Amino acid sequence: MKYRISSGMRAMARHLQWVLPTALAVTTTVVSMDAAAVPAFARQTGQNCQACHVGGQFPELTPYGRLFKLTGFTLGQRASVPLAIMGVFTAVQNPGDRAVNGSNVTNDGALTFATSSLFFGGKLTDSIGALAQYTWNNAYNNGQNNTWFPLTGTAGSDNTDFRYAQHITNGNNDLIFGVSVNNNPGVEDVWNSSAAWGYNTVPGSFGSDNSISPILNQGLAQQAVGAGAYVYWNRTVYAEVSGYRTGDGVFSFLTQGIPSSAMNYISGTAPYVRLALTHDWGNSNAMIGYTYFAPDVYEGNLNGGPYDAYRDNMVDFQYQYILDPNTVTVELSDINETVNYGSAAGSAMDTNSLFRAKASYTYEAKYGVTLLYSNGTNNVNPTSPVNTLQYGSTAWTPEVFWIPIQNVRIGYQYTIYTSLGDIAGQQALGTMPVQLSKPGDYNTSFFYVWAAF
Amino acid sequence: MKKLMAVAVLGGVALVSGCSDIQNSRDLANPNLSGQQLAVQVCSFCHGAGGNSINAQFPRLAGQQPQYLTEQLKAFRSHGRSDPKAMQYMWGIARSLTDNQITELASYYYGQIPTHGAPTDTALVEQGNKIFHNGIPETNVPPCFACHGADGHGHDNFPRIASQHANYIIKQLHVIKYTDGRPQAAIMKGVAHGLDNEQIRAVATYLSGQS
Repeated sequence: MKYRISSGMRAMARHLQWVLPTALAVTTTVVSMDAAAVPAFARQTGQNCQACHVGGQFPELTPYGRLFKLTGFTLGQRASVPLAIMGVFTAVQNPGDRAVNGSNVTNDGALTFATSSLFFGGKLTDSIGALAQYTWNNAYNNGQNNTWFPLTGTAGSDNTDFRYAQHITNGNNDLIFGVSVNNNPGVEDVWNSSAAWGYNTVPGSFGSDNSISPILNQGLAQQAVGAGAYVYWNRTVYAEVSGYRTGDGVFSFLTQGIPSSAMNYISGTAPYVRLALTHDWGNSNAMIGYTYFAPDVYEGNLNGGPYDAYRDNMVDFQYQYILDPNTVTVELSDINETVNYGSAAGSAMDTNSLFRAKASYTYEAKYGVTLLYSNGTNNVNPTSPVNTLQYGSTAWTPEVFWIPIQNVRIGYQYTIYTSLGDIAGQQALGTMPVQLSKPGDYNTSFFYVWAAF
Repeated sequence: MKKLMAVAVLGGVALVSGCSDIQNSRDLANPNLSGQQLAVQVCSFCHGAGGNSINAQFPRLAGQQPQYLTEQLKAFRSHGRSDPKAMQYMWGIARSLTDNQITELASYYYGQIPTHGAPTDTALVEQGNKIFHNGIPETNVPPCFACHGADGHGHDNFPRIASQHANYIIKQLHVIKYTDGRPQAAIMKGVAHGLDNEQIRAVATYLSGQS
């Protein structure tokens, strides 16, 4: 689950000293592991991770990996124990934050046990399969209240996706259709450019910043529960319609670990629509897609009262070249969001956007380099009741990684901030420390060791 | 919430109905699945509809000689073929196939109509054409057609090589030349040693464009 600043927290932030540097540190580090390379699946198919993940680079899916997921994780032979475990160690170094807040695990570069997950993954019947992740965040407080300490850890549900699928083909036409029940809008997607996938590899991965991120960018992860139907025709046209509601009642097991005080409650059912066109040629494949998501979220983490109407539109693109020993992946996504605040007089509105572009290269499924560009903007209506400052950010994150064996990945990335919105304004309001006046003061280096078995 | 409950109920119904959904099965451990169904529901994900793969990572299987394909599938199953891609992709897929399924798979792919590439490097194609028909006497490389047939369609356990992806042929010739990962192709080892990289590329490019 990626951390997202709620409207209530935005208001609170005005009154708190040094919140932003802390928030920055937390947004840079508090995301839970995307459900990704799952050895339980590899045991089911008997194949190497790179069959489904591009160059062994989880969570990015190959064409085969996409078909494996779209057909409900049902290919292969059912494992007697369809479980897998994952552990992540991270080290974060942030000199700017250390200068303001003193040395601690969020900024001192010490290698820390960050998170571990238990996966259930695999086929249940010929048509039904599931991926369910339960995560123990050892070093992080699940992004709910901007605190790191004490490092008592929290446990909770993580990405979960139950699927039912059919595959019909007669030689001329090929149709895959199915149903997904999941707890993160977009986690059912199979393209790496979608918001739930591709940009975050391990807790603290690149793409983090202090901009107010559109809600489609995992803002309701493990808080909403949705069901939807999809079709994929002739490996060319993909269409999906889903509806998301608050994950409470009988579905609260899918939002377990999120206290009610931190839940974002949805009014009614939020529509989620996904369209994509795909094409394979030679050793390349490409996708261009569109996503619409429109949740009405009650304000102040309450389950009732006025709500804020979020309307998110995303256009995304992906290109892959796969031919051993080389793989190249390019991903783009552009999310634009309007927020209509229910409690405002009139029709106060903010617009938020998040543009991300990422290019990766792997060699022999062992060595990889990645470059990510991220630009978040928050355009504030002067009548907005909760937001008077320009936040937003622009960052570049180069990464190198090494996969010594398919179950282990070791990587280093450095995030370079080139803008952080209205720094002077935020300093004047006391939400940014005066000691750090340049975007570069927030640059962060990040080292991780990931393993799954 | 009622709608979500309805979805849960429908999901339950689907779960029950899915238990006996053999026509839709991709279960590699179910001996009751036919070879044709496995080809459509499993193999086609990489090897393409009708065995005409798009990505050169995966060989074209359409029109492949059934005896050769049967040997290869059994070699994947027994781990007798151990080039890296065989281990990474095919050992797991083939691990529970029955002899009958393997026979049916081989028969299915032999009956499919192969498509072929359209190489544009005419000089390279011509060089490959000469190697295919004349061999390379200086390095004791016999003409390919002597074993693989006049059209490169193969016979018995000599594989069809016409219309195969050039990149796949290149990689397999390197496997045969430099490793012992394909012991059933030992007869090709001496031939592969007589070919340099340029000649391997030439003959592979030529074959990729043959029908």
